Amino acid sequence: MKNKQFDDFKDTVFALAKKNNVEVQISYSQNRNFQVRYQNGDMDQYTDAGKFRMNVLVLKDGKLGASYTETFDDPEKVFLDACENISIVDTEDVEYFYDGSGEYLELEPYDGVFENLPVRDRIGYVETAHKEARKDERILMDMAVYGDEMNEQRIANTLGLDVSFVDGGGFMYAMAVAKDSSPRSGTEFTLGKRPEDIDGAYVGKKAREESIALIGSQSVKSGKYRIILRNDVFSDMLGMLVSMISAENAQKNLSPLKGKLGEQIGSNIFTVKDLPYHPMSISNAPFDTQGVPTCEKAIIEKGVFKTFLHNLKTAKKDGVKPTGNAAGNGIAPINLYVEPGNKSFEELLSALGDGILIIEVDGMHAGANPISGNFSLGAKGFKVENGKIVRGVEEITVSGNFLEMMKNIEEIGSDLRAFVGFGGCIVPSIIVNEIDIAGTM
Amino acid sequence: MLDKFSKGVAERILGTVLKYGGDFAELFVEDRYSTNISLKNGKVETAQTGRMFGVGIRGFLGDKAIYAYTNDLSEENMLTVARRVGEALGEVKLGDLSLDLRKKELNNRHIIIFNPKDVQKETKVGYMKRAYEAARNYSPVIAQVVVNYWDYDQNVLIANTEGVYVTDERVRTRLMINAVAMKDGQMESGFYGPGAAMGPEFLERMDLEQAGVRAARIAVRMVDAQPAPAGRMTVVISNEFGGVIFHEAVGHALEASSVARGMSVFAGKLGQQVGAECVSAVDDATIPNAWGSANVDDEGTPTQRNLLIEKGVLKGYMIDKLGSRRMNMPPTGSGRRQDYTYAPTSRMSNTFILPGDYHPEEVIASVDYGLYAKTMGGGSVNPATGEFNFAVNEGYLIENGKVTRPVKGATLIGKGYEIVQKIEMVGNDVARGQGMCGSYSGSIPADVGEPTIKVREILVGGRNQ
Repeated sequence: MKNKQFDDFKDTVFALAKKNNVEVQISYSQNRNFQVRYQNGDMDQYTDAGKFRMNVLVLKDGKLGASYTETFDDPEKVFLDACENISIVDTEDVEYFYDGSGEYLELEPYDGVFENLPVRDRIGYVETAHKEARKDERILMDMAVYGDEMNEQRIANTLGLDVSFVDGGGFMYAMAVAKDSSPRSGTEFTLGKRPEDIDGAYVGKKAREESIALIGSQSVKSGKYRIILRNDVFSDMLGMLVSMISAENAQKNLSPLKGKLGEQIGSNIFTVKDLPYHPMSISNAPFDTQGVPTCEKAIIEKGVFKTFLHNLKTAKKDGVKPTGNAAGNGIAPINLYVEPGNKSFEELLSALGDGILIIEVDGMHAGANPISGNFSLGAKGFKVENGKIVRGVEEITVSGNFLEMMKNIEEIGSDLRAFVGFGGCIVPSIIVNEIDIAGTM
Repeated sequence: MLDKFSKGVAERILGTVLKYGGDFAELFVEDRYSTNISLKNGKVETAQTGRMFGVGIRGFLGDKAIYAYTNDLSEENMLTVARRVGEALGEVKLGDLSLDLRKKELNNRHIIIFNPKDVQKETKVGYMKRAYEAARNYSPVIAQVVVNYWDYDQNVLIANTEGVYVTDERVRTRLMINAVAMKDGQMESGFYGPGAAMGPEFLERMDLEQAGVRAARIAVRMVDAQPAPAGRMTVVISNEFGGVIFHEAVGHALEASSVARGMSVFAGKLGQQVGAECVSAVDDATIPNAWGSANVDDEGTPTQRNLLIEKGVLKGYMIDKLGSRRMNMPPTGSGRRQDYTYAPTSRMSNTFILPGDYHPEEVIASVDYGLYAKTMGGGSVNPATGEFNFAVNEGYLIENGKVTRPVKGATLIGKGYEIVQKIEMVGNDVARGQGMCGSYSGSIPADVGEPTIKVREILVGGRNQ
């Protein structure tokens, strides 16, 4: 961190705040990232970069004005911009800053281990994945990506808050495309905090195996099916839940979970938590973006809805304690964690018996409506008969309502995996006992 | 602030890359000032302004590319970054090269009346409130209206070792209206998001009330809708934002990033019949003040109108500099990026299907039973397989040549190269709509467009079974 420059900037802005009789908060973020992408064994993209940004919030009479900058020049202009923005804010909502009191979890900061690896080792991951992906002559093309990042956060305000934390890690992604009447793509993703968590060969192999297995895919007849949502697909779909558990959305009548605290909203085997730290996550945090301490909590416990996620403002409005879930202008979990069950993925397949294993859904940003919970998504996967995968499935859509789906969770697997999206997400695969599928057969 | 980057500084940075490796180097400097205002239920809830300022340095060795960015703009740091780029490229090809950058003056095609920086924020809020009021008052079932305003003034300087040294200013303004209707426990939303490469004069000239009504209408119609039927059927897709189907289903697969490495279903098909004869389409970044327009792309190449498909025959791709090296074809002014934190790649600008002969009513009248997709939502595509999906935000049934009842929750899925062959009728009512397109080089403003079209058969996903 550019401590000296930041401190000078902060001191200038804090002095201006004092002079103008307002409170001010500065969030400093610094990010380092490295990424390399190979297509068909050739380097296609390589980025080695870093940047910083300072977000300045001015608080006056309960109203906030915001401004940001990527240069240490002219702190006064940044301060005045934020002040000017207050003048147009006319909401009756009252905003707050946090004073830094309370207990912060002592989390282990990320040590930047990936960043210290020689570049040739980091490229080596991608080359290994490429070689593995190509171990079948039916593979037409492949792509492999390796990346690592390190994010440093510091938040300080005139009420006395001054906290900082560093997290980060590495990730890999591979895609293989197999030749068929129309091309079949298979993908695999992995992330971790230590180099030994990342296995280029495994990622390449999984992508290849999936694309080969999809050869000969066909659609299915329209109807109701039992399905497995593989962990990566379930993780995508949980984006809808994240929107629904935001107290801000509930207060604005934009969540169908409004008024449902304490009610059974999901199957009694479904438990969802928010965790400030999980060893598989690369986005842990001891405080949220308002500087409030984060804490572990059950959001849904055995199907019962336990709490919305709050920032300072929504907590005050509802007369509860903030939950440490401010995320920029919104609210989000730090790491959304779905408690695993006992069955391995293979055992889930057996438990499914006959049905469809969904391995990809597309169009979450457009085909899913978190206000109503309705979704209709393009999908692909495998047909399962007697607990065995029999063939690939293409050209289908999966439709339903997320609230109904939570009640229809029949089994939860033990195959936890970590993903990134809205913060971290650590989830297993699940069986949903009935869902609408449209197909063309 | 771009004046800090004199030709001398640019020459030293570019020269440093080549000294340590590569055969081409490029500098992209960006200084952008943005304003975001959010109005919820008639009250301004958040107002933010901010400045991004940084540089991207890129080097090529053959068709290998290395990119780095930083916003520590001390010359010492930038030269270190330049050296790292050169070293990562490996092989020194040109070594110490004496560069002679020549500033190119652009003929600005996109006249801005008011720079957003010079317009009072109260004025901007005034526009938002007018759209809000119209949406709110459209119907008693409207429960919620959120209006977001966004503008920016982006100044860029692009220099490269081919002698390019050019600056461009891109000003954009957009209004995004989201209305939610609630009735009998059902909630549905409607969206309209007009934007342009203009200052706030864009909103001054716009019918703001009509814009608000448009978002509200979708929500109100859909809250009364039945679930869409599922299965294969004929689909008529309305003009303007309906063009998102061409953007996703075909456009992305015509970008050099997919084509150059053979990852696209359209690779190697130039001159071949890939679509129905009634389909012609272009990508045109030269349209004055259009949302996806610019004078030069983000690699300093002048923009142009690119013919993509003519009467169903594949005529061209969208090609950036790196794609140009890989494909051995000239760049088409299509190198774009979200900001300096992304390396540029081949992207669309304003992409649309050209008008045909039919009146839109004739198109609908020709359908016995099908879906009328009046307002499309977003979509996505896998360029390698051509598989796409879209949400229909406002849909109706067509029965016996007439639009009958509203239906909700429809999703269209299929394969791009199949859909473009199944277009049977093209209307004469071409129009464009605005969106943000996300891909390898980030999220960028892009227009999509089309006249009303009829697709013989698409799989519609819905719940009514």
